[in-house]
Amino acid sequence: MPYDDLRAFLDALDEQGQLVHITEPVDPEADLAVAANAAARMGPDAPALCFERVTGYPTGRVAVNVHGSWANHALALELPPTTPVRRQVEEFSRRWESFPVPPEYREAPPFLAHTLHGDDVDLYSVLPLFRLNAHDGGFYVDKAAVITRDPADPGHFGKQNVGIYRLQCKGRRRFGIQPGSIHDIARHLRSAEERGEDLPVAVALGNDPVISLVAATPMAYDESEYELAGALRGAPAPIARAPLTDLDVPWGCEVLMEGVIKSRVREIEGPFGEFTGHYSGGRRMPVIRIDRISYRTDPLFEHLYLGLPWTEIDHLMGPATCVPLLQQLRAEFPEVVAVNAMYTHGLVAIVSTRSRVGGFARAVGLRVATTPHGLGYCKVVIVVDETVDPFDLPQVMWALSTKFNPADDLIQLPVMPILPLDPSSDPAGISGKVVLDATTPTAPDRRGRHTAPVQDLPGTGVWLEKLRGMTDRARR
Amino acid sequence: MICPRCRSKSVETVKVAPGGAWQVHQCTCCWYGWRNTEPAARTVPERFPEEFRLTRQAITDAPELPAVPPLARPVHADAQGAGDER
Repeated sequence: MPYDDLRAFLDALDEQGQLVHITEPVDPEADLAVAANAAARMGPDAPALCFERVTGYPTGRVAVNVHGSWANHALALELPPTTPVRRQVEEFSRRWESFPVPPEYREAPPFLAHTLHGDDVDLYSVLPLFRLNAHDGGFYVDKAAVITRDPADPGHFGKQNVGIYRLQCKGRRRFGIQPGSIHDIARHLRSAEERGEDLPVAVALGNDPVISLVAATPMAYDESEYELAGALRGAPAPIARAPLTDLDVPWGCEVLMEGVIKSRVREIEGPFGEFTGHYSGGRRMPVIRIDRISYRTDPLFEHLYLGLPWTEIDHLMGPATCVPLLQQLRAEFPEVVAVNAMYTHGLVAIVSTRSRVGGFARAVGLRVATTPHGLGYCKVVIVVDETVDPFDLPQVMWALSTKFNPADDLIQLPVMPILPLDPSSDPAGISGKVVLDATTPTAPDRRGRHTAPVQDLPGTGVWLEKLRGMTDRARR
Repeated sequence: MICPRCRSKSVETVKVAPGGAWQVHQCTCCWYGWRNTEPAARTVPERFPEEFRLTRQAITDAPELPAVPPLARPVHADAQGAGDER
C-alpha cells in the first residue's frame, strides 16, 4: 500500500523499528543537527529521528534522516529493509519501465487546514527552523519539493519541474534559492527573466517518501516527476492544485509555500555545507517571495542533515542517480548492464558493459560524460566488464588492478563542464574528466594477456548456500 | 545590535520564542541569520571566523548564479529592428 504522506511513512518506519522518537527537550542548536549528524554515522540500518519537544517551538516537530539508510530507502520503495543496495537499484529501474503513470488529482488536501496570506506569512512561526552546519549563512530548508512551470510552455505537464533546491530563510516571507545552471528550474527562471516576469513557485515541505526520491532524480527536461512517482509507487501519485499558483503539488505535503521567484533579482546567499562535503557560498542568487503559506495542524518539519559524506542525501540521491543514467545509456547501448553512480551524486560513476567491438567500453564511458546528468557530473568514469558488479567495490578494484593499463586505457578530457559546487573545479564549473577503461580488450584490440581468467569452481554456489546454512545454525 | 558577519546595523529581530527562550536575528545587508543562544563564534562580531566574514565590497562583487539573462526583445521590436538594418 503506497504511502500518501510523510505521516503514513513514519508510521511504517515505526513499525519496523526504523524511527526513534526523541521526547526529551532539545535545543534548536546544536542538538538537532548534531543528532542528525550522528544518525548518519549509524550505518546501513540507521533510523529516522523525530524530535517531539524543541525548546521555543511549542508545537514544532522535526523529522530527520527519513531516507538516511539503505533500510529506510528500501522501506520508501516498500521493499524489505534488508534488501541489498544493488537489488534496490534494480527494482527502482524495473519500476521505471512502467513510466509514465499519470497522477491522480485529489480534493481537500490536508495542508488547507491553516492558511496565512501576504504580510501575515511568517516562516519562523510555522517552521521550527534551525542551523545545520556551524558556518551556514542561516537557517535552511533543504528537503522540500520546489515546483515551477516552463513559462514558454505552461500547459506541458512533463515540463513542470519538481526538484529539491537549497532554500535559505532570509525573512518572514523570503527565501534565497540555488537553482544550479544545469537544473530544469534554471531553464524556467531564464525564460521568465528574459520576459521580465516573476516565476510562480510552490514549495512543498514534508512529503511522502517517493516524492522526495523523484525530486532528487535527474530526469529528462520534459519528463514528469509525478509520472515517475506513479511508476515507483505502482499507483498514481496523489496531487492537488495549489490554491494560489495553480501549480500541481503533492497532495499529502505538510506545508505548502507559494509565491514567486522575483524576476532579475540576485542577492548574496550562503555559505552552506553542501553534499560535496564542503561549504559553498558567496554568490548572488535568486530570491523567493512567499505570498501564501498553507499547513496541516502541527505540521512536521522534515529536514535533511548533510555534511561530510555519507549522510542522508547520499542515500536519497544514490539509486535515483544510477537509474536515469542506466536508462539513458541503454537507449543507445543495450550492452550496458549496470551503473553505480552513487558517489557524490555521480561525480564518480562505475559502468559495467558487454563489449560490442574493440574500443566499445571507452565509447560507453564517453557517453556517460555527455548524458544530461553527466554534463554536470561524471568526472571520473570507470568502465568494467559485464561480469564485474559495479556495486561490489573490491571487484571494481580488481578490474582496475588487472585490466587497466594507464598507457592506453586512460582517456582524459580537458575543460569539461561540471557543477560549480565541485570544490576541485577551476574555475568553478570547469573541470577535466577521465574515463578509465578497465574492461578486457575485445578484438581487434588484443592488448595485454587476458585470455586465461580463473573463475569460481563449478558448484561453488551450492557450497556457498550450504555453508551459510551451517553457520546460521551454529550462531543460533 | 550589529551583524556578526558583515557588521551592518541593518539587523531585524524576526522571531522571539514564546516564553523568551531565544531570539532570531536577521541581517538585511548580508542576510546572515542567527539565534542569540548560539555560540559566540556565530553571534559576536569579534569572535566570528575571519574566513566567513563579509565586506560590502565582497557582497557587491559576488558572482551571480545563475546570471541574469538579457531581456528578450518583443516580436514587434524584432521586426522594427530588422527594418532598421535594411
